[in-house]
Amino acid sequence: MTKAFSKEKWKYLLYTLSHPMEGFYWIRHQERGSVPIAVVLVILFSISFSINRLCASFVVNDLDPRGIDSLFELIGVFAFYILICASNWSITCLMGGEGRLKDIMIAIGYGTVPITFLLNVGTIVSQFVADDEQAFYTIIIAVGIAYGIIMMLIGIMQVHNYTLGKTLLTLILTFIAMFIIIFLLLLLSNLLKMVINFGDSVYTEIIFRS
Amino acid sequence: MVNRSNLTKRIVAVFLCLVFVLLNIGENVKANDIPYDTYNYDYREYMHYTPAAYIPAGNISTLAMTLDGEPIGKLNNPQDMCQAPNGDIYICDTGNNRIVVLDNKMQNVLRIIANFDNDGKADKFNQPYGVCVSENNKLYVADSQNRRIVVMETDGSYIKKIDNPQSESLDDGYVFTPLKVTVDYADRVYVIASGMFEGIMVFESTGEFASFFGTIDVTISLWEKFWKRLATKEERSNQKLFIPTEFTGLDIDPKGFVYATNIDSNGIQGVRRLNPKGEDVIKKGENENVGGDLWIDGTSDFSGPSQFTDVVYRENGIYSCLDRRRGRIFSYDHEGNLLYIFGGLGTQEGTFQLPVAIEDIGGRLVVLDATKGEIITFEETEYGKLINDAVSLRYDGNEASAVDLWHRVLELDENNELANTGIGKAYLTAGDYENAMKYLEIGMNREYYSIAYRRYRNAKLTENIGFFLTALVVLIIGINVAKRIIRKRKGVIADD
Repeated sequence: MTKAFSKEKWKYLLYTLSHPMEGFYWIRHQERGSVPIAVVLVILFSISFSINRLCASFVVNDLDPRGIDSLFELIGVFAFYILICASNWSITCLMGGEGRLKDIMIAIGYGTVPITFLLNVGTIVSQFVADDEQAFYTIIIAVGIAYGIIMMLIGIMQVHNYTLGKTLLTLILTFIAMFIIIFLLLLLSNLLKMVINFGDSVYTEIIFRS
Repeated sequence: MVNRSNLTKRIVAVFLCLVFVLLNIGENVKANDIPYDTYNYDYREYMHYTPAAYIPAGNISTLAMTLDGEPIGKLNNPQDMCQAPNGDIYICDTGNNRIVVLDNKMQNVLRIIANFDNDGKADKFNQPYGVCVSENNKLYVADSQNRRIVVMETDGSYIKKIDNPQSESLDDGYVFTPLKVTVDYADRVYVIASGMFEGIMVFESTGEFASFFGTIDVTISLWEKFWKRLATKEERSNQKLFIPTEFTGLDIDPKGFVYATNIDSNGIQGVRRLNPKGEDVIKKGENENVGGDLWIDGTSDFSGPSQFTDVVYRENGIYSCLDRRRGRIFSYDHEGNLLYIFGGLGTQEGTFQLPVAIEDIGGRLVVLDATKGEIITFEETEYGKLINDAVSLRYDGNEASAVDLWHRVLELDENNELANTGIGKAYLTAGDYENAMKYLEIGMNREYYSIAYRRYRNAKLTENIGFFLTALVVLIIGINVAKRIIRKRKGVIADD
């Protein structure tokens, strides 16, 4: 209805964060959410994930900065996002879920906000902690992840109009579906490679014959 | 025409320059004629190359040596060597069934012990495999195929033998085949015997078998236990046995701690430091590893975990282990940190074919090569000396005076973590927390970095406490004022 990046949509994002039950319900029924905002949030999440891995103080961070590739992580996060949305959608389609693909994308995208926020807070806090104060950092990150997961869970539950039990069941099935999708993709790419190889050898054969 | 000839001249000049540059490159490469790399592993387990810590100082062959005018010939498959308290060097010339004694410069033969008088009977060695001279100047020879340990005066006169150990824990048909031997200050004899998986055998000074020592525990994972449970008896008998590895080499430090090497198939712990009770008290350093190389993946002959065959305790907590698989020497300090790694297999001077024993003789590292039948010597460079001296000072608790040395180490190898940590700790004790943090972070020492950081933070806080409190008060007042203004405006809007 309104534009994808309008002020109301951003305001509604904040409302959803503090009132997930209500928020996601109206996202489903009154088009209050926005897929572009959700995608932007996922990108922000990926960036702050990389920043956390790169810049968290060495007291709490045991990663080798040479082994961190933020572009690769962005692609990975995105692939995972699309995969989880697609598989959740395909499962809930079969199990009487009311949500559209759009709603699922918004639910999961909005769910990353607490994680993104507290990852950044953790990165900053980590600059001011000593060895035995690591617990502060860990708690901040853990709270962020817990809140994010709860957000996503409520989001998926509300957009499909499920009970909690059914949501958890569909989530388990979603993970199975993810593996099936990955398997099929690998199979497809393998078969395509064979077809291309076949075409290639037919072509060389013809070239050499003529 | 003039221009063109100028151009050709220029081209020729450029060409000549290039030739000179290339020639210089060739010479630079030639200047480094050490036949191996010296390297170390950092906190991230990356390999980084360092200046040479030890350089070859010549191979010593007995071929040219003579005793009473007669050439003594080449060493044949020598297996062990040892330095006596007075500096003489005893070499176990296993293939020639004799003990060769060299002077401490390793230039002249002092004597050869081959035949001796055993209570009136003429006796000789059969494949002597290990040799050791005790602090009381007694010579112990592990006479492997005669199944005994011969105790002699250093001049070669027979005193007694240790053989045929009696114990309930030994099998009835047990054949005692001693390979390596060492003796502590109380004349207790520590023996590595062939096929003896229970540990090092300890004999009292009287020659009685006392106990096993330093038994290596076998660890079986839950997964392996699970499969054992599932397997039938027949299958189980075909599976490989879970037996501990044998020890391969021995040394003893002045305090009576026994250093013993073993072959660890995981490459995590290739050397043990055993206290008088036989418990392993070695420290494994930041990488939790005293097993030699960390990069051991691959399927070639050259890959796989290092196989330590011998260890030498040098001084001030530093010990060096000899790796048979890649011919490298790993030196650790008393905390288990790697100091430097060098050495390699090959046929050049300064490389090994089958290294079997290592010894520290007057500050030089000396390796006995069984296939070459030669003694390969290494002398320390400035870099090696700086590290050795700095570690020694730290071992004595004298970290402050080690700082100058560590700074010079950094000039040669600026990423040396031990040096950075050492300097950082010194700054920490001196109260310069900012510099301490800088160096300790490069040295990847979280514990001491945190101490420095906490003190730094406290100092900053107390310094600026007035500023912080003022800011807090201003912030609280500001928020209240802002709230009031907003409320007023809203009230105005509502009134409209």
